[in-house]
Amino acid sequence: MLAYVGRRISIALLILFGSTYLTYQLAAYSGDPLAGIRESQDPKKEQIMAELIKFYQLDVPPPARYFLWLQKALGFSTGTPDFGKSVLTRLPVIDQIAEAIPVTIRLVSAATVLAIVLGITFGVLSAIRQYSRLDYSLTFLSFLLYSLPIFWVAVMLKEYMAIQFNLFLVDPKIDLIANGITSAVLAVILAGFVSGSRKRVLITFGASFAIFMTLFAVLSMTNWFRTPGLGIWGVAFLGLATSIGLTHVFAGLHNRKALFAGIAAVAVGVAAYQPFGMIVNETGNFNILVFMAMLMLSVSYFIGYFFSKIDKGPIIRSAMLSAFFVSLFTVVDRAMQAWPKYYELSDGKPVQVDGSYNIAMRTNDFWVNNLDLVTHLILPTTALTLISFAGYLRYSRASVLEVLGMDYIRTARAKGVPEREVILRHALRNSMIPLTTLIAFDIAGIVGGAIITERVFSWKGMGSLANDAIVSQDLNLLMGTFSITAFLAVMATLAADLIYTALDPRIRIRK
Amino acid sequence: MKNDSKKSKKNSQVAGASEVGFEEAKTQGLSQGQIIRRKFFSHKPAVAGLIFMILFTIFVYTAAGIHLGSDNAKFTIHGWWQFSHEDILPPGPCADGCPSSVHPMGQLPNGRDYFAQVVRGSEISLMVMVVIGFLGGAIGTIVGSVSGFFGGIIDAVMMRITDFIITVPSILIGAVIGYRMGNLGVLYLAIFLGLFSWTGLTRLVRGEFLTLREREFVDAARVAGASNTRIIFKHILPNSIGVIIVSTTLLLSSSILVETGLSFLGFGVQAPDVSLGVLINTHQGEFLYAPWLFWWPGIIIVLIALSINFIGDGLRDAFDPRQKKQIKRKEFLAKSGTRDAVNKR
Repeated sequence: MLAYVGRRISIALLILFGSTYLTYQLAAYSGDPLAGIRESQDPKKEQIMAELIKFYQLDVPPPARYFLWLQKALGFSTGTPDFGKSVLTRLPVIDQIAEAIPVTIRLVSAATVLAIVLGITFGVLSAIRQYSRLDYSLTFLSFLLYSLPIFWVAVMLKEYMAIQFNLFLVDPKIDLIANGITSAVLAVILAGFVSGSRKRVLITFGASFAIFMTLFAVLSMTNWFRTPGLGIWGVAFLGLATSIGLTHVFAGLHNRKALFAGIAAVAVGVAAYQPFGMIVNETGNFNILVFMAMLMLSVSYFIGYFFSKIDKGPIIRSAMLSAFFVSLFTVVDRAMQAWPKYYELSDGKPVQVDGSYNIAMRTNDFWVNNLDLVTHLILPTTALTLISFAGYLRYSRASVLEVLGMDYIRTARAKGVPEREVILRHALRNSMIPLTTLIAFDIAGIVGGAIITERVFSWKGMGSLANDAIVSQDLNLLMGTFSITAFLAVMATLAADLIYTALDPRIRIRK
Repeated sequence: MKNDSKKSKKNSQVAGASEVGFEEAKTQGLSQGQIIRRKFFSHKPAVAGLIFMILFTIFVYTAAGIHLGSDNAKFTIHGWWQFSHEDILPPGPCADGCPSSVHPMGQLPNGRDYFAQVVRGSEISLMVMVVIGFLGGAIGTIVGSVSGFFGGIIDAVMMRITDFIITVPSILIGAVIGYRMGNLGVLYLAIFLGLFSWTGLTRLVRGEFLTLREREFVDAARVAGASNTRIIFKHILPNSIGVIIVSTTLLLSSSILVETGLSFLGFGVQAPDVSLGVLINTHQGEFLYAPWLFWWPGIIIVLIALSINFIGDGLRDAFDPRQKKQIKRKEFLAKSGTRDAVNKR
């Protein structure tokens, strides 16, 4: 195994060499870096050009110049890796990349995680209810999303999710007609998840329609959209509902111990609501949040552990998931309390259209600053999630269907394993194996950035760096960004192969 | 078969026997091709997608006409639409360029007819999509199946080539073609993009082959003396056709998005030619006061990609014998007459 990994890594280095070489040649032949100066009317034009040619060694033909670049990049000449300086900004490439990477990770990671979680969840749901109303709707939705050009979606999101929503927030009153339509749409979606007789579907629709109507009316009357918040009871209610729902899915409500463990975890979370509010005040920071989350999760782990005698897995899982969501609601609630202050500072334009953060918003309030980041993230994250969600949904649905047709599923059913266990233990785990490739590539792609999205929403991440480099024929900058992306892509391929072999014993490594 | 296990347990005897009988009755005396064709044509969204694609292609190509050959030896058939996308026209009936009887999709500020532009854009985008999709699909399937089936050194070499290709960014290819070969036109852009877009499909096909070649039926075929070619084409490929078709259609529909995306960034189709992506890019700023300039190309991209995806879905269902539609009890009872007739015969 170790020998295999070693061999693969050495091959990966070879591939990197080849791909950087090809990229370098392609880039060198794709344009003239001196075009801008060549056309200028500067009297010292010749001199500047000669300087540039000397500085960037443009007199050396590209096939040979690559090796000069490689020598520097590997750090043979100075001891440290040196990707050169950008032609355009005259700054070291490595600094520009170091600046861009965090921006890009912030932009893409949330969308990737959301797309993976949502896509797999709905894909599995769609597969186990194959050819149902839900399956047809999800299939249609995924096809529609898969067919959307992201730049087109982005323009629409800017208009309807940002500009119109901000206008709505000026006087957030929902009139009866708008309330009726919104509630009806939401109720139809909810009723779509219900299987069974028409009566059951209609009851769900009616009940959820009434609940949504009342909810929106109350929210509208209490001016909730301007002063949002959940309060301790909201957190308790949502936490309890999520906990019961998750227990129903992952363990079954007949598993009383899992149910009680989940409820106990929610109770602990609600008990921690007041202390949390006191500890994490305006000057809170991420370390405290992470620490509290860890504390919460370990407490819930022990709750699950003590509730169970046999079959600890589902019970601990139920407790930990409940704890996770109750903590999430608590944090969301705290962030919502900072909303009025943020709203005031944002000049009545809370949902931002451009850029990654608002410089004017760097207050000393931790929550306001983060709300600023989040409101900048909303549009690009929505766009990216919508697009990649569809792919995950399609692949996980196909994969689960494939596995459900296998003989061992029939065996499991025949020996009397409950359907939930068949799906969760036998089908789901095996069907996730083919998805590892997709996930590995998407995670590696995070750093590569999203060129189009960054362009549309004017973010300054890796994608826009690559874009600028190509437009301005900036070879050093281009090679810097692309070698990092290529490196990660090669590593992702290796990781995907190794994970695949580890997960699927049917695939053997040939020595 | 999966859901409602309680119900199916109750009816297991009836359902088990009936399903086989029904399936046989439906397919008896039909060749594989006929079964696939029938299944495909019973998939309504796929048929709708196919009809749309055919009609739309005819519509686009007849509207613009056919223009082949170089400037010296032109072969031209004029289309039924009066304007070409290069014509600069006097302002039409609507002053601010909104849709009118003369210009059904409006007119650009520079005098061009937007309908002709959209038609030309669709033409280009369709062509690029087909070239990328089929080139990528063909290369991907061949490389993936050879590599997955033979394994060993062949697999290692081919997969490393794939890794190598994955790392070359398509935006750079667009830039090179756009800058160096801008005058060669869109076809070369499409071919080059196709040559670099088979990697995802290859990996999926290879994964499928890796799993399938370990299965018993492959051993059985080998013991029976089947050649490698026969095992690949007759035993493994039909079993992985679902993956291939789904990924090829996804490739087709994503290649139209790749082309429009590249064009949107300015690295794809170059002026004076237009594609749907170029049109959206040019007019995204006019969303507020001339929304039709933004809506039309976008809707066409979505419709094309959507139809292709549905066709792919229909093909997958048709090719895959394992994914039968569940037969409802009512439906079965209504048709049980057929089964009796078959059994008696």
